[in-house]
Amino acid sequence: MAQMWITMGPQHPMTHGLWTLRVKVDGETVVDAEAELGYIHRGVEKIAEARDFTQVTPYCDRLCYVSAMTWSSSYIYAAEDLLEVEVPERAEYIRCIAAECQRIASHLMWLGAYGPDVGNLTIMTWALREREMFLDLLQELGGSRMHYNYPRVGGVTRDIPPGWSDRLIAKTKLFEKRIDEYEMLLDESTIFLVRLQGVGYATAEDMVEAGVSGPNVRASGVNYDVRWTHPYSVYDELDWEPAVEKPTSVKGSDCYDRYRVRMEEMRMSCRIILDAIEKIPGGRNTTYANGDEMILAKAPTRAPEGATGFSNYECTRGASQFYIQGGGDGRGKNPYRLSIRSPMFITIPFVAETMIGYKVADIPAIMGSFDPCIGETDR
Amino acid sequence: MHISREQNEAATAEAVAAADAAWGALGVTASSVAHSSGHGYAFLRLTVPPAHVVTVAKGLKHDMGVNYCSMITGTHFPDGGAERGWEVVYHLMRQPVHNPEPNTAHVLVASELKGMDLPLEIEVVVPLPAGDEPTVPSVQSVWKGADWNEKETWDLVGIRFDGHENMHRVLNPHDSPEGFHPLQKQHQIRYHDFNEMYDDAQGFVRKPVDEGRVK
Amino acid sequence: MSGSTGLPTINSLVKEDLAGLIVDLLAGTPLEGQAEAIAAFTGALLTSIVGFLAIMLSMFMILWIERKQLGRMMDRRGAMTSLRSLWVGENGTTAGEWWTMVPLIGRPIGALNRWLNSAFGNHDPSRPTVDRVGNRSWMGFAIFPGFFQNIADGMKFLIKEHMVPERADKFVFEVAPYLVISSTVLILGLIPMGSGVYGPNPELSVLFAMAVFGIAPIGVFFGGWASNNKYTLIGGIRSAVQLTSYEIPLLLTVLSVCILSGSFNFVEVITFQGQSGAWNLFLLPLGGALFLISMLAEVERIPFDMPEAEAELVEGWWTEYGGMRFGLLFAAEYMRTYAACILFAHFFLGGWHAPFHGLWGDLPIVGLASPSILWVLLKAWLVFAVVFVWARVALLRIRTDQILEFGWRMLLPLAVLNLVLAVVFRLFLFDASGVVEEGLGSAWSLGIFAWALPLLVTGASLGIFAFLLRDENKEATPERMFHIRTLEPAGTHIPGTE
Repeated sequence: MAQMWITMGPQHPMTHGLWTLRVKVDGETVVDAEAELGYIHRGVEKIAEARDFTQVTPYCDRLCYVSAMTWSSSYIYAAEDLLEVEVPERAEYIRCIAAECQRIASHLMWLGAYGPDVGNLTIMTWALREREMFLDLLQELGGSRMHYNYPRVGGVTRDIPPGWSDRLIAKTKLFEKRIDEYEMLLDESTIFLVRLQGVGYATAEDMVEAGVSGPNVRASGVNYDVRWTHPYSVYDELDWEPAVEKPTSVKGSDCYDRYRVRMEEMRMSCRIILDAIEKIPGGRNTTYANGDEMILAKAPTRAPEGATGFSNYECTRGASQFYIQGGGDGRGKNPYRLSIRSPMFITIPFVAETMIGYKVADIPAIMGSFDPCIGETDR
Repeated sequence: MHISREQNEAATAEAVAAADAAWGALGVTASSVAHSSGHGYAFLRLTVPPAHVVTVAKGLKHDMGVNYCSMITGTHFPDGGAERGWEVVYHLMRQPVHNPEPNTAHVLVASELKGMDLPLEIEVVVPLPAGDEPTVPSVQSVWKGADWNEKETWDLVGIRFDGHENMHRVLNPHDSPEGFHPLQKQHQIRYHDFNEMYDDAQGFVRKPVDEGRVK
Repeated sequence: MSGSTGLPTINSLVKEDLAGLIVDLLAGTPLEGQAEAIAAFTGALLTSIVGFLAIMLSMFMILWIERKQLGRMMDRRGAMTSLRSLWVGENGTTAGEWWTMVPLIGRPIGALNRWLNSAFGNHDPSRPTVDRVGNRSWMGFAIFPGFFQNIADGMKFLIKEHMVPERADKFVFEVAPYLVISSTVLILGLIPMGSGVYGPNPELSVLFAMAVFGIAPIGVFFGGWASNNKYTLIGGIRSAVQLTSYEIPLLLTVLSVCILSGSFNFVEVITFQGQSGAWNLFLLPLGGALFLISMLAEVERIPFDMPEAEAELVEGWWTEYGGMRFGLLFAAEYMRTYAACILFAHFFLGGWHAPFHGLWGDLPIVGLASPSILWVLLKAWLVFAVVFVWARVALLRIRTDQILEFGWRMLLPLAVLNLVLAVVFRLFLFDASGVVEEGLGSAWSLGIFAWALPLLVTGASLGIFAFLLRDENKEATPERMFHIRTLEPAGTHIPGTE
């Protein structure tokens, strides 16, 4: 059969978002691949030039909608760098816990989407069921299940509600047992191993060269994590380690390694949560009023021209960075330029190249293992 | 278990010295700037004239181990003066990532990292003269991660990258009009939301002033 | 068979009473000479209609089992614990304690439920958490909640739009679903559903059934090609390849069963199992397993779902079909699944014979408890629930080239081995004098006692299975290969350490 281009077009049940993957196949083998992005380009960078620093936060939630808390926190760190704000420690702890809850929820969403990619629908219901627990927790903090608009320049909007920490600990401990069940279903299934091992090799150096970061690089055997190389928030005070997998081949990590690293990251997030909630200053059972200085510092609202802010943050899918230049409209009330660095924007073309040489049936396995989210890609 | 402040400041200072020595004569200014919030770690800021971008890039990559091109930002300054009508800011990283042997993992321990293995953040600021055709030499051949970043910068801001192969629209639709780069300052956001944009409730009829416009 | 107790069977009703009626009616008319032939034809028509209706109406049971079991298994914690859902519930009770409506044994059932809850139920102090996330149980008040949903779904397909792609090959596009459906329905009309409940009974009915079963790949390929769509083309090709390559182990297995039973006729295969004292599953467990795996691949269920994998190909070769054609194809998959279950029941589980009927079939009152259609249905549903649905829930899709490798390199040699075993059993270990009309057959006795060979074979197979189940030595395999498990057991890997 001749070679032909197949368009896994923008409307597709597998592609985890709105983008086009065009693959050239020779029979069942992929010979070439091209990615086309930009279908949900909403112009966040342009819109931000017409908004206050606080008004930009909801837009950043919607960048990667599956992992909203981490993206708005990432933006807030850049805004705080620009406006030179000192954040109270309790607020940092709360942000850290919320971000780790979000990381778990996002990885569960990944798992729930990855299972059906390789054919198992059971893991979808299980993962989404556990995700409900963490969505409930984050809903108590932020008011809605997906887009919280929770961090503020200088702290957080409201403190943890009464009883929240008990619920958090109970749910986290329950979840740790449930991760074992997922592994019981998947890791001990020969079919799962056969589908994922030996597929989608990528080495650490290639990834870094191309700009990939986060769990994908940690799956290739190097424990590079922004949380310890460029520490922010309170990660240097907590007891945790980045999850890293050992690749079994000189060709790098395969899909199975990337799957395992995310499972271990979920466990590590549970550990961080349980540690942080004990160490939170002010106690885990006290609730401060909105705007109290324990959770929100007074922050300037204008940034002069020439000031810049930059944040380097470990989002669920890689290292996200925000670069803000001050001096926008309203004598500095708005950012002059907000630039967003999305890890997935760089990873998706890389993944398109990784697929070459494998079968068509491997495309969802490889694609899903890199955990794409198109909201942040297209901004 | 984390990179300490001292390590970071030592690495940045070393990088400043190396940059001064290598490119000081080319008009490149290097400085160590601390973040103004959070842990206050320092990063290296280089201001490079556009002609020497590729030299500096290659030097960073081969001599200083900068292996990661993270973000390329383009900004339009219509009021910036003749020397700084446009600006391209490259954010680069040095990441101590090396391929491990099979069945092993490189567990980097922060306290044991030294010299070129210390992570480093680098900000390269390239001011461009005002005009209609801002151009910067492309670093696509130096870092693979610069490829799509440059496409995005050209697509949104309009800064041309000399020597970039296969430049195409990446976020805007492929059939966008020639010369349409939304993040330039002459394109204003005129409406705050859809209610202001349309004349009717369902959102089919544009306002009379926007007759015939697509965006 | 219940004919021995004197009650009328469908067979006797049709063949004797109805035939007599027709002959009497036609006496004195010009058709008198052909009265017997007409009676026979009418009798055959009626029995085949009864059998066909039995299958088609009971097919909704299959759909209902799939929905309910799938839902329970997917929401429960672990496939093994889905049985728990029958008794565990919120706060130790099931919503709607249905046993209170049962007259005599209702209270003991309630007591049993309470005990099971306290022994194995879910006691978590943070109850609200657990309630939110599963271990819900719902038995409901109605007997078959959700049963008619499938009928409504079927009717829904009738009112959906029927589209033909513009540049599709229209004739082939339209013909393809009919090929698949009609061949499936043909099989269903042919399989006997009970003792006497069959219309035509050709001598080589097994061969005919398997041949008709194999027409479907042609329809699949036609559909995939004619839709003028690259996805469906790939799906159709994958499907055709998979179906044809799994026909071979399937046919070899069926051949082994027929060799064992001595005939290519359904009725005789089933009668043989009843009369020789052992069901074929216990003589050829390997054959049973092979039959099930090949049938999973033939009906394209997960784990052999690749041709219609939603992940890459949307719906595979069905993508362009809408309306009732899609509904028919969807139903055809379930019909083929049902046919596969019934075939398994006939070939390996003794068809319409009750278990151990040889021992108690002649007893006065208990011997009545073998309405043959019901036994066939129960066995088919059991096979469906235990094998087909469970495999779908717990397993993943295998890649096409891995499916083919599995079929040709592993199943085919095993099927040949199975065939050899069947030949050896039949030629050397079969005692023809042990085949009896009523009572306990002892054809496989090996001269020792009635069930010597089946017990031996089943025991040996279980032993081999248990041996294969144990984990391999992980220390000895640092380089991970495809079929070897993870390096560490789940949950013990400490990230970042060696």
